[in-house]
Amino acid sequence: MISSPAEVKNGSGDGGRWLDAHYDPVAGLYTFSSCVDLADLSGDGESRLVVGDLGTGSSGMKLKVYRGTALMSESTLLDLPAGLVAFFMDLHEPRIPAVAVASGPCIYVYKNLRPYFKFTLPGLEINTLEQDVWQQVREGQIDPMCLKEMLESIRKKDAVPLSIRSLRFLSLEADSMDDFVQLHKQQPIRRQTVITCIGTLKKSTTDEDGVSCLVIGTENSDIFVLDPEAFTILSKMCLPAAPTLMDVTGQFDVEFRITVACRNGNIYILRRESNKPKYCIELSSHPVGLVRIGKNVVVGCTDESLQGFTQKGKKLWKINLPAPVTTMAAMDLPTRGFQGVLVGLANCEVHLYRDKNLLSTIKTPDTVTSICFGRYGREDGTLIMTTKGGGLMVKILKRMAVFDDRESAPGPPLAQSVRLNVPKKTKLYVDQTLRERENSLAMHRAFQMDLSRMRLAAARAYVKALESSLTPVSSSLSEPLKMNAVVQGLGPSFKLTLNVQNTAACRPVMNLTISFLYDENLYRMRNPFMRIPLLVPGLIYPVETFVECTSDKGISDIIKVFVLHEGKSSPLLTAHINMPISEGVAFS
Amino acid sequence: MKHRFNSFINERSEDCVKCTIGAGYYSAVTDSARLMVAGQPMGLFDKLVGWLGLKKEVNVLCLGLDNSGKTTIINRLKPSNAQVQDIVPTIGFSIEKFKTSSLSFTVFDMSGQGRYRNLWEHYYKDGQAIIFVIDSADQLRMVVAKEELETLLNHPDIKHRRIPILFFANKMDVRDALSSVRVSQLLCLDNIKDKPWHICATDALKGDGLQDGVEWLQDQIKTMRT
Ligand SMILES: Nc1nc2c(ncn2[C@@H]2O[C@H](COP(=O)(O)OP(=O)(O)OP(=O)(O)O)[C@@H](O)[C@H]2O)c(=O)[nH]1
Ligand SMILES: [Mg+2]
Repeated sequence: MISSPAEVKNGSGDGGRWLDAHYDPVAGLYTFSSCVDLADLSGDGESRLVVGDLGTGSSGMKLKVYRGTALMSESTLLDLPAGLVAFFMDLHEPRIPAVAVASGPCIYVYKNLRPYFKFTLPGLEINTLEQDVWQQVREGQIDPMCLKEMLESIRKKDAVPLSIRSLRFLSLEADSMDDFVQLHKQQPIRRQTVITCIGTLKKSTTDEDGVSCLVIGTENSDIFVLDPEAFTILSKMCLPAAPTLMDVTGQFDVEFRITVACRNGNIYILRRESNKPKYCIELSSHPVGLVRIGKNVVVGCTDESLQGFTQKGKKLWKINLPAPVTTMAAMDLPTRGFQGVLVGLANCEVHLYRDKNLLSTIKTPDTVTSICFGRYGREDGTLIMTTKGGGLMVKILKRMAVFDDRESAPGPPLAQSVRLNVPKKTKLYVDQTLRERENSLAMHRAFQMDLSRMRLAAARAYVKALESSLTPVSSSLSEPLKMNAVVQGLGPSFKLTLNVQNTAACRPVMNLTISFLYDENLYRMRNPFMRIPLLVPGLIYPVETFVECTSDKGISDIIKVFVLHEGKSSPLLTAHINMPISEGVAFS
Repeated sequence: MKHRFNSFINERSEDCVKCTIGAGYYSAVTDSARLMVAGQPMGLFDKLVGWLGLKKEVNVLCLGLDNSGKTTIINRLKPSNAQVQDIVPTIGFSIEKFKTSSLSFTVFDMSGQGRYRNLWEHYYKDGQAIIFVIDSADQLRMVVAKEELETLLNHPDIKHRRIPILFFANKMDVRDALSSVRVSQLLCLDNIKDKPWHICATDALKGDGLQDGVEWLQDQIKTMRT
């Protein structure tokens, strides 16, 4: 294979699937994924790259258009762009899309790269008290100090927030207040919100070049759908928090779904029928990237995780990433039936995921801040990235490139995801589960009560056994003894062997006797009372005696053995011997 | 295989402009006699000359990315009365014929669109020479052209043959076009050691540079045969 040095250098990390079409590290492009789009702006079948460049953040904001490797045009933007989309706003031929740039409270619409229309968000409700106060200022009834006090009290207790002008005024030093009031008092108060995100929604067709509505999210937690031609508000929806990222799918006239990530760390899903969110996904950390793949939503979060959800908000999976997410974009290649998610990471890598499987890792010379995948020029599979340092990078997917799920995915083995054939739940099982769920508290209490009772009973029996030396082990300090009994024979004569052991370390035990207690109607014993010799510590002393069963009824009984100390009535230890049933009959 | 692709062949008649793009086009091609020479039936004299061996027949593959100007170039090489005015993106491929002083060329004008590029390799066996057209003004896709060229050179039907390759660095009239030297650098043509190759800067709209290339190709084919 003929390969250039450039390819040898770059072709390693991504399995050689991408061609390095262009890299300009000093392109001077400072932007985010929301401000980048691809569109055939000349109608010649060649897609251009449209970028809302943020410049330094305070100056040098520009709308830039690239054709191939070259900057084709640039025009100054008045304010920082928050989002940029290309969309078809009418049915005119040739089919050339317009570009909408959202910045501040306005949307600037460009047609043929010339300013065409400016849409401004409707003003917000103004605090009437605030208005009255400024009115008084205008009439010279109150001075700036007094104004300040009144505004401060309004700010504290009133529900409607103050206008930017009043807030600015409140932050001023005393000496600059006068000038400020003189400068502004004649103008009416206005309260304005700003656009935070923008998307497009097909009006009524699914056609690639169908007319689209603009969908905008505002700092005031509203979502507006605008008419493509008249720019009137077709629909207004309210969110519980300010939206930051947005994905829109469907058609306005038929059915649509707007997925928004909000500043409260939640994701809301809005549908056509309601102006309130239909589903909510509560994330454990803030979302930084949102991509929809078919019917699923993939979210990148600040806790370095990537999570998948269904369109109804059910969590599907979560994986951990090696570094914080900088940006995300969808990789949709319908001609090859491929869909994936591109995730830019702070460790100078771009990962490609299909579901939770890592398919490819692209190493970049700088951290990527924006990603855009689509048709650029005449190539359908083009990946465009801009970097933190202002670089522009273009990669083209090879015609023969294939992505293999299993190739680089570490993670759990395949067998783990094989579904087990779990039998269906029976009615009984379901009823029991329900009962358990409903009565869990009572059941737990009953169980705890019984457990305590049982423990108490056990403890009582144990104490009783200890107190009456009913055990075959004596733990008394002076005579620590152990005994076990063996019964031999088939009957009617049995040999009874008692193995007695002194478990003390060195002290011998003396003056012990053994006595038996038994039912005299059943058994006869040669000598029911015996003396035990001196017990040397450690040794086992077998004490033997013979028992005869006198009954022929085939019954048996217990024989109790007591080890006693001479002169004491309570036994040192007790053993109960369960006698076996006698197989023969005594001659008597 | 070849039989199936016949349905993609372009018909260069007056009504072909609108139908070449859509899928409904297939049914338009029914007369196989017309296919052979794309619109103009092969004259008896031409055949006679061919049989007598006066003019050698060569099959040439015309390859390159879409929009590079392949069809425009081949159209230019045909006699002026056989040239067409409207050139539309090729679907599948089309077969064209033209003659030089000593050779009769049959050109397989392949479509360069991504989805048709997998057709190319089916004709490698039959090709005796290759014309590879590059849009010198499309700097972004130079890597794609390079990739396709590499795939071509590594194909088993091409790899071990001393098949001559003529490169047309086309659209040199466009302002931002790269020079033919730069194009050959970007495509790493110097790495081709086992095949004769030649690169010409061309402007297919005016026809500049085409003759030079075709003469080189003719010389190569002659030396190959003798
Ligand atoms: N400026 C300029 N334009 C050219 C030149 N050659 C071709 N074109 C234009 O490029 C476009 C594409 O030309 P085609 O001949 O259809 O390209 P092709 O390589 O056959 O394309 P496919 O059939 O799709 O593979 C047409 O609009 C031509 O007019 C040239 O030398 N200079
Ligand atoms: Mg063509």
